[in-house]
Amino acid sequence: MNRNYIILTLIMLILAFGTLFLKMDDELDQVDPEILLQEIIQPTRYVTTDQVAKMIIKGDPSLMLIDVRNEEDFQNYSLPRSVNIPLDSLLNPENLSYLGIKGTKVVFVSDDDIKADQMWVLTKRLGYKGTYVMKGGLNCWMQTIIEPQQPSGDASYADQETYSFRKGAQMYFTGASAESSDDAKVEVQVQRREKSSVAAGGC
Amino acid sequence: MGPLIPNGIIGDGWDFVIAILIGIAFGFILEAAGFSSSRNLAGVFYGYNFVVLRVFFTALIVAMVGIMYFDYLGWLDLSKIFILPTYLGPMIVGGVIMGFGFILGGYCPGTSFTGVAIGKLDALFFTIGLYVGIFGFSLAFPLFENFYNSGSLGNVTLTDVTGIPASYFALAFTVVALAAFWGTMFIEKRVRKNMKQYKF
Repeated sequence: MNRNYIILTLIMLILAFGTLFLKMDDELDQVDPEILLQEIIQPTRYVTTDQVAKMIIKGDPSLMLIDVRNEEDFQNYSLPRSVNIPLDSLLNPENLSYLGIKGTKVVFVSDDDIKADQMWVLTKRLGYKGTYVMKGGLNCWMQTIIEPQQPSGDASYADQETYSFRKGAQMYFTGASAESSDDAKVEVQVQRREKSSVAAGGC
Repeated sequence: MGPLIPNGIIGDGWDFVIAILIGIAFGFILEAAGFSSSRNLAGVFYGYNFVVLRVFFTALIVAMVGIMYFDYLGWLDLSKIFILPTYLGPMIVGGVIMGFGFILGGYCPGTSFTGVAIGKLDALFFTIGLYVGIFGFSLAFPLFENFYNSGSLGNVTLTDVTGIPASYFALAFTVVALAAFWGTMFIEKRVRKNMKQYKF
């Protein structure tokens, strides 16, 4: 028997056996484009700034805030307990380890919705579940939580409730002093009838 | 990186030039492997010469395993490769007809041209027959047009149909091919022993 044949046979067998251990790129876990499109249309990925504030105040352990702005902006101002993962460094294995933990809600925060939405689409494409976007981003956070606007006097009860929550949250996050309710400032003015020196009437 | 033309590394117009170069190389290898002899080719069916099986199976498993490594190394994107659409019924019937033609004529289309190139008369008649057959098929095409287009499965691979990873098929094919190489070697020896004359 020819020795070359035996060697070639063995080489071919080893090479073919090696293919079993090759990781094919096609097997990447990716979401179906149609499902992705449906999820992009739906607003269920949004959480409001009020919900985020409530979870932070309560110390909800399932909340994972991820700030997608660059590092400089993150240093300037960031939400408490948030982690900085800039949009372009999502794919670092270290950063990906924050995602896909069962039972946690990952909320992306940026200046507005745009970058956070991009991040959300990226994570969806990678097949992660339980990712959300903070609606309006930090701009909305400033308007609603840090400097809440007092609703007009004839606003609905729900609006008044929201406002009082936001005032409380403002105190929590900024340390603003409690304002006494406006109702207490109203001076009760008692109008006394002036005394007239002149006897009225009489004849 | 690859496939080179779809990825724009080689311009669109070059595909025919490359086809000619690969065609020349293919013809040269066929001739060098002894495929211009109809006795060599028909020998598979009578059991005295399995060179066809060995050459084609070697090309098949080397290309198959090689492509998988190329894909792994990022040299070739397998998802961009053209996959011939499968027509189950017509392909089985076509294969049977082709097999009969192979035994009767002693050539398959490609090898008949290598036979013509070195001046074999039987190959010349085979190629004439080939063109007559193509002409006849074209004229009669409306008769079996329905069958010709039936049973389309689209551009599927075995992995698409069965869900079994391609590497399992690669390994299975390789084992079968290597077993066939060694098995046919013994068959050849036994058959040739009983042959009085053996000439290519």
